[in-house]
Amino acid sequence: MRIQTEMNLYEKLNILSDAAKYDVACTSSGVDRKGDGTGMGNCEKAGICHSFSADGRCISLLKILFTNECIFDCKYCVNRSSNDVIRTSFTPDEVCKLTMEFYRRNYIEGLFLSSGILKSPDYTMELIYATLYKLRKECNFQGYIHVKAIPGASQELIQKVGYLTDRMSVNLELPTQESLRLLAPHKSRKNILTPMRLVQEKRKENRQELTVYRHAPQFVPAGQSTQMIIGATPETDFQIMQVTEALYQKFELKRVFYSAFVPVNEDKALPVKTDSGPPLLREHRLYQADWLLRYYQFHVDELLDEENPNFNVLMDPKCDWAVRHLEEFPIEVNRADYHMLLRVPGIGYRSASRIVKARRLGTVDFADLKKMGVVLKRALYFITCSGKMMYPVRMDQDYITRNILDGKERLPDSVIGMNYRQLSLFDDVRFSGDSFAVEGSGKCAENLCLS
Amino acid sequence: MLWKEVGNVQKIYVCHDDITGIFSAVYDAWKERRETGDAGIAFKGSVEQKLFCEYTECEEREEKVIAVEKMIKNHLGMDAYWKLYHAALSSDPAKGDAILGTMFAARRLKDSTRIMENLTSPSVEKVFALSRKVSNEAHYFKEFLRFKELESGILFARIDPKSQILACIAPHFADRLPLENWLIFDGTHEVFAVHEARKSWFLISGIEADMEILERLSESEMEIQKLWKGFFESISINERESYVRQRQHLPIWYRKNIVEFQN
Repeated sequence: MRIQTEMNLYEKLNILSDAAKYDVACTSSGVDRKGDGTGMGNCEKAGICHSFSADGRCISLLKILFTNECIFDCKYCVNRSSNDVIRTSFTPDEVCKLTMEFYRRNYIEGLFLSSGILKSPDYTMELIYATLYKLRKECNFQGYIHVKAIPGASQELIQKVGYLTDRMSVNLELPTQESLRLLAPHKSRKNILTPMRLVQEKRKENRQELTVYRHAPQFVPAGQSTQMIIGATPETDFQIMQVTEALYQKFELKRVFYSAFVPVNEDKALPVKTDSGPPLLREHRLYQADWLLRYYQFHVDELLDEENPNFNVLMDPKCDWAVRHLEEFPIEVNRADYHMLLRVPGIGYRSASRIVKARRLGTVDFADLKKMGVVLKRALYFITCSGKMMYPVRMDQDYITRNILDGKERLPDSVIGMNYRQLSLFDDVRFSGDSFAVEGSGKCAENLCLS
Repeated sequence: MLWKEVGNVQKIYVCHDDITGIFSAVYDAWKERRETGDAGIAFKGSVEQKLFCEYTECEEREEKVIAVEKMIKNHLGMDAYWKLYHAALSSDPAKGDAILGTMFAARRLKDSTRIMENLTSPSVEKVFALSRKVSNEAHYFKEFLRFKELESGILFARIDPKSQILACIAPHFADRLPLENWLIFDGTHEVFAVHEARKSWFLISGIEADMEILERLSESEMEIQKLWKGFFESISINERESYVRQRQHLPIWYRKNIVEFQN
């Protein structure tokens, strides 16, 4: 291991932001806070992006590691202890300086502080606490802070940090216990989920406090999030989504992020490096399904099951569901309930609520739907207006599938160009998973129950 | 009066292209009991003479603005007020007519607070579209505005927006940076927003500024810029690089004054 003692701030920032870039979450949303006039900063509920890097991802927060020195040896991570990379750490003062100077020039919306594990989880958490304390109390920074809870750190430390930060996250890293054992031997389900549960409980308590004392200090007001790596282990989409659902329901997470696996290390436990790039289409489908869970009242077992454990590569999950459930369609737009409107491909949750409002005042026809933002090209197979379809349609699965696929899905540009590779037989995890079988597959949702 | 009986002649109120001008023109049209179709608003310097129109210069006064704003807030509600206000900041030359048209349309409604829901009226739809465009642009500049620290410690930013969004973004920065002296210059409309530490902000226009002073940067400014540019490079994941996606989110048009896109 090379340890350089003299390193300037520019080099440190370079190394420690480079090491933090694989963390997906860069959102600054969830809190609305005005400045109190004595310091610097405020927060907007919807969040503000300040720039977009060359990969097209938004830059909202100063995303850095406190240190990339790490005693853990997670196989997928650049900073694992067995890698020979240049190690360095910030001091709390340096983090404060960077945050304040960037913030006042309107470069960033706040700080995202993660860290490698220096000496011990508690020692690292202590350093993070010291940094945040300085930033909040001495520099009087009132902007957004997102901090990582270090798995294995003590409860008191996590609580103390929780009062200084807006969002806290513990990365689940991998969907099942088994994968975690293989790829992240120093982390366990238990010490990832314990802090998550702690934050959840504390937030509940805090909400009650706040109803009594309006000005009581807020604990993690923007909620917690987590992230899973996709494509490093043989879990199916079904397993991943089951875990996601459990996290939303049992741990009240605000967001679950998915990160397409980017191979940075050569390791026998990891998938072989190929030319096909990260599985971006798969990541995209998972995000689509994630939205269906959060905004469209879907359940995982409606989207996938043991026989079809992975998402359709050709069609988005909502379309896929609709085509498989033609017996429910067509529905009458002027009568169907909100829940059913949400399930029509081409009708989003905004247009669904517009429809519900508009039909109180009069009948809605196809021209009105178009104005409300409904994508008729997709919706026309599944709806009627005043009993009539837009034009005669055969309610036949193949016919509708063919027509929808003809219309071409609008994929994000980052995913386009990857399609032909994604379609290949061997990219499908179902066919490459026999090298190591995962125990208790399909049961992962239960694994999440902490008694 | 004779003109009005003939019914074909429009009266066009000519005013400056700002809130004071537009609302004063609305005031005059209201006072003279104009109706849809026989009144319009044009802006000084960009009047296109049309047939069968009578042009009259509008006297712009602050009291007129206050009276019109009060009328809008009381009868149309705050939501409509902000929509009209934002529309008035847009760069579209037809905005005056749309605002006047919307207010005439509101007069005919039983419940005039619901005017903005009446999207079948072309004027209302226009105001709606303009206001959305302006508030979107304002949001973009909250994101993409970049301050530089000058020799004197003052933070200075230049923007070149299409609409007059300075008044929309200044409150945001005043709340965010209350202890800083800052200055935002709108290059398109040549207006400054000025904020002195711990005081409230204001707009100044029509002054000759010494642009040279605004280019003398503080000592640490270049160092911070270098740090930021380094961060901007290293945060991107090579394997996922997508120029198109970046351009989609941050169009090249906006990059003019953004520090990380300047070499």
